[in-house]
Amino acid sequence: MEATNGTPQSKAGDWRSYERVLLPPVKDLHRLEVYEQHGGYDALRTVLTDDSLTPGDVTQAVKESGLRGRGGAGFSTGMKWSFMPEPDDRPRYLACNADESEPGTFKDRQLMEYNPHLMFEGILIACYAMQIDACYVYTRGEYVDWIDHMQVELDKLYDKGYVGDNIMGTGFSTEIVMHKGAGAYICGEETSLLESLEGKRGYPRYKPPFPAQKGAWSQPTTINNVETLACVPLIVNRGAEWFASTGAEQHPGPVLYGISGHVNRPGVYEYPTGMLITDLIDEVAGGVRGGKALKALIPGGASVPPLRADMIEGVTMDAESLREAGSLFGTGGMLILDEDTDMVSWLRRVTHFYQHESCGQCTPCREGTGWLEQIVTRIDEGEGRLRDLDLLLELGDQMEGRTICAFADAAVWPVRNTVKRFREEFEAKCKKSVHPTGAEVSAGAETAA
Amino acid sequence: MSQFNVKRPIVGLPEQDPEPQFSDDELVWTDDEQAKIERWKGQYPDPKAAIMNVLWLAQEKFGWLPPEVIQLCADTLDMDYARAFGVATFYTQYYKEEQGEYVLDVCTCFSCQMMGGYDIFHYLEEKLGIHDGETTDDGTFTLKEVECLGCCGSAPMMQVSNGPYVHNLTKEKVDQLIENLRAGQMPTFTSVTLPQDEDEMGGNRRTDVQPEQVETYQTPPRAEATE
Repeated sequence: MEATNGTPQSKAGDWRSYERVLLPPVKDLHRLEVYEQHGGYDALRTVLTDDSLTPGDVTQAVKESGLRGRGGAGFSTGMKWSFMPEPDDRPRYLACNADESEPGTFKDRQLMEYNPHLMFEGILIACYAMQIDACYVYTRGEYVDWIDHMQVELDKLYDKGYVGDNIMGTGFSTEIVMHKGAGAYICGEETSLLESLEGKRGYPRYKPPFPAQKGAWSQPTTINNVETLACVPLIVNRGAEWFASTGAEQHPGPVLYGISGHVNRPGVYEYPTGMLITDLIDEVAGGVRGGKALKALIPGGASVPPLRADMIEGVTMDAESLREAGSLFGTGGMLILDEDTDMVSWLRRVTHFYQHESCGQCTPCREGTGWLEQIVTRIDEGEGRLRDLDLLLELGDQMEGRTICAFADAAVWPVRNTVKRFREEFEAKCKKSVHPTGAEVSAGAETAA
Repeated sequence: MSQFNVKRPIVGLPEQDPEPQFSDDELVWTDDEQAKIERWKGQYPDPKAAIMNVLWLAQEKFGWLPPEVIQLCADTLDMDYARAFGVATFYTQYYKEEQGEYVLDVCTCFSCQMMGGYDIFHYLEEKLGIHDGETTDDGTFTLKEVECLGCCGSAPMMQVSNGPYVHNLTKEKVDQLIENLRAGQMPTFTSVTLPQDEDEMGGNRRTDVQPEQVETYQTPPRAEATE
């Protein structure tokens, strides 16, 4: 957080006059004809036909742009691409992660509906940069309408020779296949997505070997989020410097904020990264519903720690600022909760979600998520004891880092931080402890938070 | 105290040898379906990867996936029954039990919970006289409590029969929906506009959807069930 004269500063610059690039205001942009009229597939043409631009140069440009994955982990995309081994006789795959199952996140669906060609163009450029043979767009099964819409546009691309053999007559060939999931949160995890793509139960795999070495069908594979790939044509068209200078320095670029919860104007908004959270809530989303005060904010989907209202002053929406504030950027799907919210009841539903979605492969997660739900439910129903709060925290320690994938960690973070940051609410719902002497022990006396 | 207790069915073990629901004559693919399957098989380095597509196809054809249908899918792709069964049971959208004509998947995950997802869910429970996972006596509706469907901005919402989404639900909207479904009328695809589009280009950016198919993000209603 940089403050001048004590006033919190946005890193998004003059965001009020920001012109959208991921979802520009163009009617029918989802149709190939319109997309091409507005400079669509120019970036792909440049990349494929400009002989001075090697695949390595494209990866380098993405690396220099500072683009970080928009699917939650925020890892450098250029770096990820460079992990792919040198091309040999093995087939190479790209998986576009359109599973979007993180609760609180609904941005990719809007991108797939309104600007799918930006995603397809990004996929094709990524395929060129990494010399990929086939890209699988793994979309969650619930998004059946959007899969159909994208298939229509994809067929047009095949007809036009932009996908398939000998793209644009340049001799470069790659395929794009739409793959429909069938309802499993865990398939948003990259190795689970690959298992599912291979037609198996979506059990995450051990890493290493990382997907770049052994991914889909044991071949080199890269997995990128929809929004991440949609940023790629922008980097080619406008240059890595432009991208790097948009938004927060360490986490640059345009980003889709999905704002939901108790606000007057929820929705998906495109702005640069590094927006002040207070600007996003008060100005962009029209303030908290009914003029109420803010109680809590979940900045990036279910798996990130919630922030109390007094923790967001001067915090901006980028990885560094949010980490300092004690949370994570995640997917940029912000859930805003007003002062009337019952955090215990909220957490109870969060733990139910994780209990329901745990794939069941690792014992600490399969059993632990059930325990978490049962303990939080007990507290919520007024049957809990103060020591249950410590049991929750201890249970979290037993789960975190002891499983194959990060699902257990993601289940623990909201629990641990909600209990710590809203402890008085949990204590108020617990039964009062009675000391052996008969004296009532006041709430909070058992342990210091 | 939160009143979002949901009566969840006790899930028993599946029967070892259930009565087949479909006869051998029914358990065949048409030429069209076979062509689709061949196309899918060609899309993956290992044709077995098409199992998810084939299960989807089978579910569209037969309505649900009893063992003999899963066996058909497995045979089609020349794979073990156990593996196909494993896939069918891992993913929630594959129906392992017979469903009503319309399946109402009400999102109650915490974003929707905070906006009244449980108000809608309980309202439907009362209206249809069924609980989570149950089907009405006339076989018309199955009600389900589901996890996040990726529409947190237009919460509360639901999905009808693994198909169209219905956004910004109110009790009136639910009444209307049930009435329409009873008359055999499925909701149509709805396009949710972006707030920035409303400011910059007067709302909907798609000219290929009808005005009645357009929905805007709205100030969410107050949730009763969690207060």
